[in-house]
Amino acid sequence: MPAILTVDDSRAVRTIVGKQVKELGFDVLEAEDGVQGLEQLEQTQVDLVLLDVTMPNMDGPTMLQKMRESGNKTPVIMLTSESKRTIVSNAMKLGISDYILKPFKPEELRTKVLSVLQGEPGVDQIVQSAAPAAAPEPEQDTMSGATVAPTAAGRFVDILVVDDMENVQRKLRSMLPNHVSLAGFTSAQSALASCREKVYRVILVDTEIPDVNSQVLGQQIRVLQPHAALLALALRTANDVTREVKDQGFDDVVFKPFRPDSIDDFLMQYFDNQEFLTVEDNVLKVAPFTGKADKVDRFYGRLNGVFEEALEKVAAACYDEVVLDMGTPPMEGDRLPKFVNSVASKSKEFGMTLSLVGPADLRKALGAYEETKDLKLFASLQDARSGAAA
Amino acid sequence: MSTDKLAAELEQILTKKIQSDQLVLPTMPAVAVKVMDILRDPDAGMKEAAAIMEKDPVLAARTLRMATSAAFAAGGKKITLQEALARLGTKSLKSLLVEASAHKLFVSKNPQINDQLRILWEHSVAVGTLARDVLALTGAQDSDSAYLAGLLHDVGKPVVASVLLELERQLTEVYQRGWIDSGEWLTVIAKVHRHVGVVLAEKWQLPAPIVTCIKEAGEYDQGNRQSLANAVCFSNALAKKSGIYAGPLDAEDNDALVMIGRSVIGISDDILRTLTKGLRERVTGLYD
Repeated sequence: MPAILTVDDSRAVRTIVGKQVKELGFDVLEAEDGVQGLEQLEQTQVDLVLLDVTMPNMDGPTMLQKMRESGNKTPVIMLTSESKRTIVSNAMKLGISDYILKPFKPEELRTKVLSVLQGEPGVDQIVQSAAPAAAPEPEQDTMSGATVAPTAAGRFVDILVVDDMENVQRKLRSMLPNHVSLAGFTSAQSALASCREKVYRVILVDTEIPDVNSQVLGQQIRVLQPHAALLALALRTANDVTREVKDQGFDDVVFKPFRPDSIDDFLMQYFDNQEFLTVEDNVLKVAPFTGKADKVDRFYGRLNGVFEEALEKVAAACYDEVVLDMGTPPMEGDRLPKFVNSVASKSKEFGMTLSLVGPADLRKALGAYEETKDLKLFASLQDARSGAAA
Repeated sequence: MSTDKLAAELEQILTKKIQSDQLVLPTMPAVAVKVMDILRDPDAGMKEAAAIMEKDPVLAARTLRMATSAAFAAGGKKITLQEALARLGTKSLKSLLVEASAHKLFVSKNPQINDQLRILWEHSVAVGTLARDVLALTGAQDSDSAYLAGLLHDVGKPVVASVLLELERQLTEVYQRGWIDSGEWLTVIAKVHRHVGVVLAEKWQLPAPIVTCIKEAGEYDQGNRQSLANAVCFSNALAKKSGIYAGPLDAEDNDALVMIGRSVIGISDDILRTLTKGLRERVTGLYD
């Protein structure tokens, strides 16, 4: 398997870069500075070096120069927070293949790594598998009548419904917002064929399709769509249906006939997360809490369910600081400090420090707890960026 | 005299002239100034602006041409100057006036100098076009201002050229011998033009972000990755790499600027290809 050496004095950067490169299918070696980097190159042949500029013991340009002097022509991508043209120009003279400025987006790293390594032995297969899949033929959305464009985006569909009663699909379609896409099939066979071509986010499978074992169908779908949420479609009965379907391998259940409040819950759980906690650069912004007091638990429950993924995005761009803009959160009880503490702990794991943006009351709510009392709090995002604590 | 020494002396002369307010900077054409004044007055109408602009047939023709171009046309029928102004709107009209005023600087009666100025103008148009497209393709705002910022980033060059031309005239009269060749001429201008460009931009009351673009074109601002100045810096390097440039060029240094800029601003290979496709054809022939 092709290997990539990442040379950076920041453990967080090495971890993040290593994770992204491994996801592409490469082996990863790490070094903390130029000295370790050269030692690694003596012991192992690698296909690419991702090289930081400023490091203790031996910096990136010196390591690059020594590599070239010893005849090592391994491609190098400079991955640095240094943007002085004299430094990059000198590195170009020593034959760097590309340059990435920190913080960076994961797509930039992936694209540049694959671009540099294209044509190398063993890499073409990875390049092909990482490229967007061929677009499917245009197809008719049976539910809305709209034609799905044959683009890469056309591969992604929000919901798949497998139910032998066509009116079930129609009813669900009528209760969903327009931006949520849905494909429906009345036979297991055509649903499985679609699962081989499309990528679904949520899959609903009727538990009472004639002549079909829904448990087996669910297992087959799970193999084809490992990342989708697999939900059973079932009638309300006196039994504990939720437990029954979970025992059969489903993630949860959606009851028929559909009720507006249960569809609202379903949408909130599977489709509102992005708007609920948005990520822009290194800022996590929490949507305003507009519910009643009895919804506070759900509010923090949802935040707890999504913040890790959001933090990962920030860490993946190699920021060393993350800002959590809480807006005006509900502050009753200990849910708020518990949540903030979870975010702070996870941020630390990712090698980032956490700053908060929120009203002055937030300090009071967080000050009562040892874990959160010393966190930096700013009155506005602008203050957080300029470092002026409230 | 070496090029470096000549450049140093010229810079000294220019600095002294600027400090003592003796550098005769070109003014905006009177018609452009009057129309700009009218546009600043919220109560003034396009009828008044059109009446003034009619006094400059070249400017009026250019305005009509722009208003009936693909970007603004709504059917291609003939329109009056007043209708053209209304169709363009205040922002586009201001840009057109500044562009037309700047263009006049890049014209010389000396045929040899005129040829060099033509290339400098084409380079400026290329940088403006690229800067606008860079910001538009990367989804950043204010791509309209980027065109003007790119167009004016070298606006000091023709001013320095005219000072150099005057020096040449004086020296050749005294010493009865030839002057520097066009290569050295461009080298000297490249070394000293920025300071003069900034003074001119301030005199013309151009917006501060445009003045920044004239002042700084050598390094990127990491704090605001899709800033106007970064777009102009990258576009300047890209236009040079595409061969639309006259003057001294350190190719490796310029390549480094392109490589850094791609990552700073977020330019993918696809966008890069789109930016430079047919660039030369798009900027040549716009001199007249």
